[in-house]
Amino acid sequence: MKSRERLLTALRHEEADRVPIDLGSTDVTGVNCLVYRELRRFFSLPSKPIRPLITGGSDPSLFTFYNMVAEVEKEILDTLHIDVISINRTLEPTLDVKKLSKAFINNKWQITEVKFKQWYWGEWDLTIEIPDYIDIVENGDRYIAKLGGREHAVAPRKSFYFDSRRFSTPLKNVKDIAEVKDFNWDSYKISDLVLEDLRRRAEHLYKNTDYGLVYFRLGSIHAWPQDLRGWTQWLSDLRLRRALAEAILDQVMDVVMYNTRRIVDAVGHYVQVIGLADDLGTEESPQISVQIFNDIYKHRYETIFTYIKRYSKSYTFLHSDGAIYPYIKELIDVGLDILNPIQISAKGMDPEKLKKEFGEQLTFWGGSANTQHILPFVEPEGVIEHVRKLIEIFAPGGGYVFAPIHNIQPNTPLENIVAMFKTAYNHGKYPIKQIG
Amino acid sequence: MNLLNLIRDSLASLDMDSTLKHVSEALKHSISIMDIVNSLSEGMRLIGKKYENGEYFIAELTVAVEIFNEAMNILKPKILGGREMKHIGKVIIGTVEGDLHDVGKNLVKTVLEVNGFKVVDLGVDVSPERFVEAVKQYKPDIVGISTLLTSTMINIERIIKALESNGLRDEIKIIIGGAPVTQQFTESIGADAYGENAFKAVEICRKLVGK
Repeated sequence: MKSRERLLTALRHEEADRVPIDLGSTDVTGVNCLVYRELRRFFSLPSKPIRPLITGGSDPSLFTFYNMVAEVEKEILDTLHIDVISINRTLEPTLDVKKLSKAFINNKWQITEVKFKQWYWGEWDLTIEIPDYIDIVENGDRYIAKLGGREHAVAPRKSFYFDSRRFSTPLKNVKDIAEVKDFNWDSYKISDLVLEDLRRRAEHLYKNTDYGLVYFRLGSIHAWPQDLRGWTQWLSDLRLRRALAEAILDQVMDVVMYNTRRIVDAVGHYVQVIGLADDLGTEESPQISVQIFNDIYKHRYETIFTYIKRYSKSYTFLHSDGAIYPYIKELIDVGLDILNPIQISAKGMDPEKLKKEFGEQLTFWGGSANTQHILPFVEPEGVIEHVRKLIEIFAPGGGYVFAPIHNIQPNTPLENIVAMFKTAYNHGKYPIKQIG
Repeated sequence: MNLLNLIRDSLASLDMDSTLKHVSEALKHSISIMDIVNSLSEGMRLIGKKYENGEYFIAELTVAVEIFNEAMNILKPKILGGREMKHIGKVIIGTVEGDLHDVGKNLVKTVLEVNGFKVVDLGVDVSPERFVEAVKQYKPDIVGISTLLTSTMINIERIIKALESNGLRDEIKIIIGGAPVTQQFTESIGADAYGENAFKAVEICRKLVGK
């Protein structure tokens, strides 16, 4: 069975020949560049600069690399039996024409060809390839990523990725609705040139490869306002400043639906999965009550999911970390097909309970191994047993795509990573053997 | 109902306007600042209970923190001559090196302050050397270390080792917290306690300083 068919079979909640496997089709189901460099060594591949997967965010025309998730090369895709890829790929297999992104050049935003340059992260002796419209400068204990001279993201020298949040709270001090309307929302609407580039890439990969195809980061309706206002302030807004919050959300939805319509119309017949990223949980519980979730977000998700399902063949995918059990039923109600990453260490995210209650309607994409407490800390035999048990729970009847729970982090032993994917391949063959 | 109970209950039900109104009224009635702050603490404790029961979420905690801070803004100018309020202990708090996340840390900080602790916040991405310097400078009872990332969690152990090699370890208690932290990890690196959430952390800190 070919990869795309395998993925579609799983998404139809049927058993394929084996469980489809993802590594790196999104920047939340991948492997950190530093670990990836070691993984290449492990497989005796020659040393070379690592290219992070570039993705759009709230602005889908602007491609950045900040999550530092490696673009998984063809050799490793083959070795680990990976079935799905991102249409934003820039390495083989991809369309062999220039990739486009928005960039701030000569004092104005424009669409440019993405060219890569090398940057050396001294603390890790790691050379990565980054888009040439982003400059990284040293500033004391930090590296600052700059776009057209403006600070855009920051990384402590001894960290493993960049964080753009602290530079993205332009609405922090906004007090009234008129100011909300004055904000330049249109700048987040996807550019026609980038859109056409995405369409060509998706079409090429659809016609010339057998991979399952993913478009990820369609937008966020919780995480984005949380970025614009500040993480905690937005949570307070939802309760203390509801009118202001609603005014912001109306603008957010206007942008997200513009992008949804354009992107779905362009790539929706080529990709099998269209994904949103919205972190709604903490380790212990959802961030907000189900009642506020339903009042504020449920109908808005419905609008997005309905459009995707009505105007494309794609399945709807939502990435949300954390303990979000109480929202799952609500999300399924309004058309969610796939949930990621199934953070099984968070409260209430018990694999057996989730599969039993939602397994017939929802595809679990992730849930492969506890990356916080188990994967980095146990021997490979422990990983094999842990992963095998999770496959036995999630895989029966389909509705399961194997993927790491969020990105594989540095300090994870390579033997454990390889053991995880070997187990996914060997033990993920249908019918699943129930060893228990 | 007396004003102090009204303060407690309006905070617990997250009613900003009523809380601030009752605080101002209590001041007019010459109720002592200490009593007013105690009522706010009581209210916060009720909120902690509701959080643990699953009735409140982190969104409600951030609302409570915002109301509490607004109330303190009314009270602070009245605290005579800037005289410091009595504290039950001093805590230094920071996020480990390599990690920029501060939501959990900030929440713990406020709940500690609500409960009468003096808190020195070292911010995020704090090196072991900075923790050592701060312990020498502020002489705290407790050092609180926060982490969100599994990859930087190991840096907590480096902080503890640095405190040990500077001969400071026995003078302080160390409490750690954050998404990837477990009791087992806490014991394995030689920290004194693990705060599963902001309220548990404060409960533990009270015990650590014998209150």
